[in-house]
Amino acid sequence: MRKLFTCCLVSLCMWTAVAHAQQNRVSGKVTDALTAGALPGVTVMVKGGTTATQTDAEGNYSIEAAGTDVLVFRSLGYALQEILVANQTIVNAVMEGEGTELEEVVVVGYGTQRQRDLTTAVTTIRADDIAKTPTTNAMQSLQGRVAGVQIVSNGAPGASPTVRLRGIGSFEGNSAPLYVVDGMFFDNIDFLNPNDIETINVLKDASAAAIYGVRAGNGVILIETKSGAYNKPGEIVYDGYYGIQNPQNVLKMANAQQFVQYIRETESPSDIALVDNAIQRYGRSRIDPNLPDVNTDWYREIMSPTPIQNHNLSFNGGGESTRYSIGGSYFNQEGLLNVQRNDYRRMNFRVKVDSKVKEWLNVGGNFNVSTARQYNGENTAWFRAYFAVPILPIYDEGNTDAYPVKYANARDLEYRSSQNPFFPLEYIDNRNHVAKVLGNFHAEINLWEDKLKYRAQYNYGLSFINTRRVDFEHHDGLTQHQSAIRRRNTSDYDQVWDNFLTYDDSFGKHKLNVVAGQSYRSEYSELLYARGTLINPAPSRAAEQYWYLANAREFDVSGIGDANDSDYSSINANLQFLSFFGRAAYNYDDRYLLYATVRRDGNNKFQKKWGNFATVGAGWVLSEEDFFDIEGINFLKLRASWGQLGNDAIRPSVGLPTVEENNGAIDGVRIIGRRLNPTFDLITQWETTVERNFGLDAQFLNNRLSLEADYFVRDTRNLAVSIIPPMFASSERRSVGEIRNKGLELNLNWRDNLSEDFSYNIGGNIATLNNQVLGLGGADGLNAGSAEFRQRSIIGQPYQAFFGYEVAGVFDTEQQIASMYDEDFIVAEEIVPGDLIFKDQNGDRIIDDRDRVVLGSYLPDFTWGANLGFRYKKLEFAALLQGQMGYHLLNRKRGEMIFTNDTNIDADLATNLWGEGRPSAKNYPSASGLRRDWNQSMSSYFVEEGSYFRLQNVRLSYSLLGREINGIAWPETRLTLTAERPLTVFKYNGFNPEVADGVDREVYPIPAIYTLGITIKL
Amino acid sequence: MKAIRNIQYVAVVFFSLLLGTSCSGLLDEPLENQQIAEGTDYTQTQNMVLMLHGAYNQFYDFGWEVYPVISVRGDDINAGGLGDQPLLADADRFQYDRNFWALNNSWTSLYSDLIYWQGAIEEIQKYQEAGANATSAQQYIAEIKVMQGFNFLQLARLWGRILIPPSSQPRDLFNEELVSFEGVMQHVSALMDEAIPLLPTVRPNQRSDVRGGVTRFTALAIKAMANLELKNYPAVAEATGQVINSGLFRLEPDFYHLFKLRGKLNDENLLEFQYSDYGTGSGASNNFLWDFFGPTSWTPARNGASGGWGFWEPSMKYIRFMLDRGDRERLETTVIFTPDGIADLRDAYPNLPNWISNVTPNGDVFNNSVRTKFYSGKHYWPSNMLTQGRTAYGNNKNLTCIRYAEVLLMHAEALTNGATSSVMTADAAVNEVRSRAGLGALSGVTLNQVLDEKLAEFAAEWGIRFFDAVRHDRTTELSYEGRTYDPASDRYFPYPLAQQDILPQLRDEN
Repeated sequence: MRKLFTCCLVSLCMWTAVAHAQQNRVSGKVTDALTAGALPGVTVMVKGGTTATQTDAEGNYSIEAAGTDVLVFRSLGYALQEILVANQTIVNAVMEGEGTELEEVVVVGYGTQRQRDLTTAVTTIRADDIAKTPTTNAMQSLQGRVAGVQIVSNGAPGASPTVRLRGIGSFEGNSAPLYVVDGMFFDNIDFLNPNDIETINVLKDASAAAIYGVRAGNGVILIETKSGAYNKPGEIVYDGYYGIQNPQNVLKMANAQQFVQYIRETESPSDIALVDNAIQRYGRSRIDPNLPDVNTDWYREIMSPTPIQNHNLSFNGGGESTRYSIGGSYFNQEGLLNVQRNDYRRMNFRVKVDSKVKEWLNVGGNFNVSTARQYNGENTAWFRAYFAVPILPIYDEGNTDAYPVKYANARDLEYRSSQNPFFPLEYIDNRNHVAKVLGNFHAEINLWEDKLKYRAQYNYGLSFINTRRVDFEHHDGLTQHQSAIRRRNTSDYDQVWDNFLTYDDSFGKHKLNVVAGQSYRSEYSELLYARGTLINPAPSRAAEQYWYLANAREFDVSGIGDANDSDYSSINANLQFLSFFGRAAYNYDDRYLLYATVRRDGNNKFQKKWGNFATVGAGWVLSEEDFFDIEGINFLKLRASWGQLGNDAIRPSVGLPTVEENNGAIDGVRIIGRRLNPTFDLITQWETTVERNFGLDAQFLNNRLSLEADYFVRDTRNLAVSIIPPMFASSERRSVGEIRNKGLELNLNWRDNLSEDFSYNIGGNIATLNNQVLGLGGADGLNAGSAEFRQRSIIGQPYQAFFGYEVAGVFDTEQQIASMYDEDFIVAEEIVPGDLIFKDQNGDRIIDDRDRVVLGSYLPDFTWGANLGFRYKKLEFAALLQGQMGYHLLNRKRGEMIFTNDTNIDADLATNLWGEGRPSAKNYPSASGLRRDWNQSMSSYFVEEGSYFRLQNVRLSYSLLGREINGIAWPETRLTLTAERPLTVFKYNGFNPEVADGVDREVYPIPAIYTLGITIKL
Repeated sequence: MKAIRNIQYVAVVFFSLLLGTSCSGLLDEPLENQQIAEGTDYTQTQNMVLMLHGAYNQFYDFGWEVYPVISVRGDDINAGGLGDQPLLADADRFQYDRNFWALNNSWTSLYSDLIYWQGAIEEIQKYQEAGANATSAQQYIAEIKVMQGFNFLQLARLWGRILIPPSSQPRDLFNEELVSFEGVMQHVSALMDEAIPLLPTVRPNQRSDVRGGVTRFTALAIKAMANLELKNYPAVAEATGQVINSGLFRLEPDFYHLFKLRGKLNDENLLEFQYSDYGTGSGASNNFLWDFFGPTSWTPARNGASGGWGFWEPSMKYIRFMLDRGDRERLETTVIFTPDGIADLRDAYPNLPNWISNVTPNGDVFNNSVRTKFYSGKHYWPSNMLTQGRTAYGNNKNLTCIRYAEVLLMHAEALTNGATSSVMTADAAVNEVRSRAGLGALSGVTLNQVLDEKLAEFAAEWGIRFFDAVRHDRTTELSYEGRTYDPASDRYFPYPLAQQDILPQLRDEN
């Protein structure tokens, strides 16, 4: 693939080099779009050529150029302009301010608005910033860049990060925002090539998102893919990078010496016997005869640095009446895991065309095909690498019954499980084939003098995900494992059909923009899955052509179906939606801004059919007032908004008792039966978010300093909440919950140019978030997590907070224990020195469920990002730092001790355990205490601070613009070195502090990525 | 310009048409594959039996934790599984935690059955009203009542005062008052009286429609168990007498094989939970999660068979009791020894008989385990009885629940407590059980001897020993191997915290 690209490029370069044409003198004047004043010092050059000049004090220039050349106008603080000479001798340029971004047009859903006219909180991320991050999913590049958007990275190849806009506003789903890609609705944009994206608009507040009504509850992210431009000569752009992913912050596990010392300290004869078994089986270490001759570092064994690469080729341009953008890309990311196939490969093709067919008719289409193949690693391998003992080797020739590979089995040492992570790595293969197609057609009719327009757009989204899991037949030395194949195919057919009228007019100082329309949407999905066992011929990696269910000798009846998965992760659906919407934006003299939208949505998902959602917003541009005259303030706007959003991204509700089927054995025959389920979900209200947002936008010191500030209170009511009926092992959802998110977001940026050659910028953003459950329909709390590691949503506390005992230290002496707890209680619980001190919250000298408190939440209180950049001549440098603070993680890996106490522990734990006369600096219990149920109660011992600071992205690029090599004009070329996440600093005892749901059990590590990139424009 | 105006016209009309006729009928599309109960066509009377099948499936399908919660507290058995499930080990030592997840699961599991069954009864009645065969309908309802009786019995034994669901709607329980232990037992006895005349007079394995299902004798046995708890011994003697008098049941001559393949739908069984691998080496199977009882380390006779989690350890006290009695057959069946366990025994019994071995009659070798010294033989399924291709421990094994031996010994228990019977004497009942175990006959048996016999016979099964000890105030027996049983506080579990949160009645009670 890469060869092909290179080939094309080389031939194209040669072709342009020989193309010469008649030279003419071209002159003109360059002015500022806002002030209409002349602009001096603007660089004017011939694109792809070597000649360049600058405008004089009156903004005039003169340059030699061919009639077919393109002139490039460049000035700091202004957007780059390219104008085709087209055989003219006078070419004037109007430069649009870039520094303020106030004049930029922002996509707001069913239309656009000028940034300066917004009354809502909208943040725009442009292609330049998106391209900085080497990633599969463009949302990853927002991490640290947008205040109020929390991104939790995911390290697995092809996996998407978790995205949360202003907290969690629903008890269901993953609070994923709605993505609107060129008008089509998606809940994930993993199919898009980040390079194909022109802008990402984050509609942060309810007022901005309200036009999307019922889909907007978790926030809306609008994505515009790249278009060509009218009257712009065609250009060919190659953009690509190649890089290495390197595992970061690898968790240090106890080595054989630390592990054996810890085991001896437990004084548990049975566990010490296991160490002796290892010595017997694998021999004694010559260095320390008390150790077995094995010291396996499992994390090191199961992973290696791997490559990542991306290549794009695109063709953009346009003539008088048609513009186009055509492109293709190839992305490949290898996984970190060894042995197992673990990678992601995606190919994308896209075409976007717009044409002014008639003066009154504009028609366009957009087509995006994405196909991906993903080999998923077994996450259990990460988990096993944590708990596999270091005194177990990878291979064991003595494990004679094992085949085909003689992997060591910890059960041969009498450990409870086989432990060795190579079992899942060697004997499982997971493949996903993903195909997603987005088709879009739109037509815009100019009904009346550019003032009234009618637009119809029809979008179709197709998504096919075919997964296949193959379990290879093998023997682990003790147990025979059968071969199996599971396939699961889902197809989604989604369509959106919008029709709307836009009226745009101005009367004197009044400006008005009104939109009214209607939308129909349907979501239809199909599912088919089956599992077969005893595959013949037995599947092997060497003969993938036989991996078919057709070769299965047995089928699991309960493993075959097409209605819904046993875990309800996918369900067949036929959902229908109908909506009407309207928007009005009014502007008086650029001083007073009013904004309102209304949307009425209907659906067949819930018992509540129809819902109405509205918003109003107002803005006051103080700096436009006559009385406003403050030195240094160029622009100042105050804005306030109130808006309602619905959320239908929750499972449908049936509303009535249902009849379910069950099965069982009667005399060796499988019998199907029925039962009446008296409980049912009843959604009688829409989940409705009401948000108030107060904001301020300002520009200072010649627009060099910009400030955006927002304060919001976001209340979501009628949340679908699981109500636990008495006595019944089930739950039923009712529209009774309420949750609040509130916070403050600040964004401050400074940019300046000290000279023509040197400019720099520095900025930062911070966001706070306070998440609080306000209502659960009468209950005080709602359990989540597992019984052993309780999480609970409690009124007045964050969603799914960790809930348990508060550790106040470790007992050093018997006297200390006696001073804290009741005598009988101490005897009953057998509390001894080296045990954790649990704080007796209610003072009854007994520790029980009444002493449990909230130990923390996985939602950060505070997120921040800071950026720094400079340009010196053709060298550009940019750095991004970011961090998330004030949140907690459940160290579930350490918690595994509860279920299997014969496993390895991490080095920090092993070396900081309490010992006789050796207090634990970190409040860890004694070695034997680790295994006693007292210390295994859910407590702050398992809940750790997750806060981190990270050097997110460092990028150095060098531009070869206008270079000439051996007399041949070199095409516009840019070389880039990027380091993504080179440094992360945190205290948490885990691989990485980014865990979407806060429970760190088998999370894929997030690697650092180092890439070398090149961009060539012809 | 005219063309443009026409286009404008068309577009506006088109647009307004869309708005006007927009088909809101689409919003009435039903959800996919959801069978609304209201939509049931009850005239399809052949579907009535599906509700009965559903009731059995519900009965047989329960989590592994329910069994140990019911059964762990006697001096016959220890939780085992050292280090895992510490709160189960606590429960074994009478230290109850109201927040122990397995308590809540057991509670909701037993109650969910009751609620589903109530729904099944209501549905069957609707089929009957719509013309289904009334005799069948009434028999089905009677069968379900027997299942209900069994669950009520377990619930009251675990928690004492409980709620009796008045309908198939869980939220109706908000208005219910707690019923005393005796009240529940009377309710069970009355339920059985309602059911008995409607049930087939055959052995469960003689039923042709639902083989192994509930019969009149299952109901009689449960009635006897409820009345035993009420100390209404004449009623116990009467009910057990009817079972004995039927002459349909017989003890399986080989005690070991009663808990193996031969025990499935055996003539001794009055009630058993049925499971199956359907004779296939892979694919669908319905099983209890026997892993709970399985060995953490063994050398199975059939290579590749899986072990388990190492729970359910017969107590040293029980083993010594059996050795002292010379009760070899039942000891060998009930207890599986590990080398470490044998070593411990030898410390206490220097002349330990040499038939004590860690190899089972089927040739499976049990190795040492860090979690337990002994395993439960009654819950052991020999590796070479697994269907070829299956490896999960206990796959295809049924869980026996009420055996004829229990009926005999309940009969003896009633008689030694003053009841009379014309069917069989206490001596005869006890000796029938003893003779199967290869033990000599007793005469003039006392209550103590009956209880000892029950301990020897039913160790590790369904908490029978614990409930016997509590019923007859022999609770000092329960204070063994470091445990202290306090009759005032330890008879019942605390109501699960999650349930207290929901039901004020339970909160007030605790």
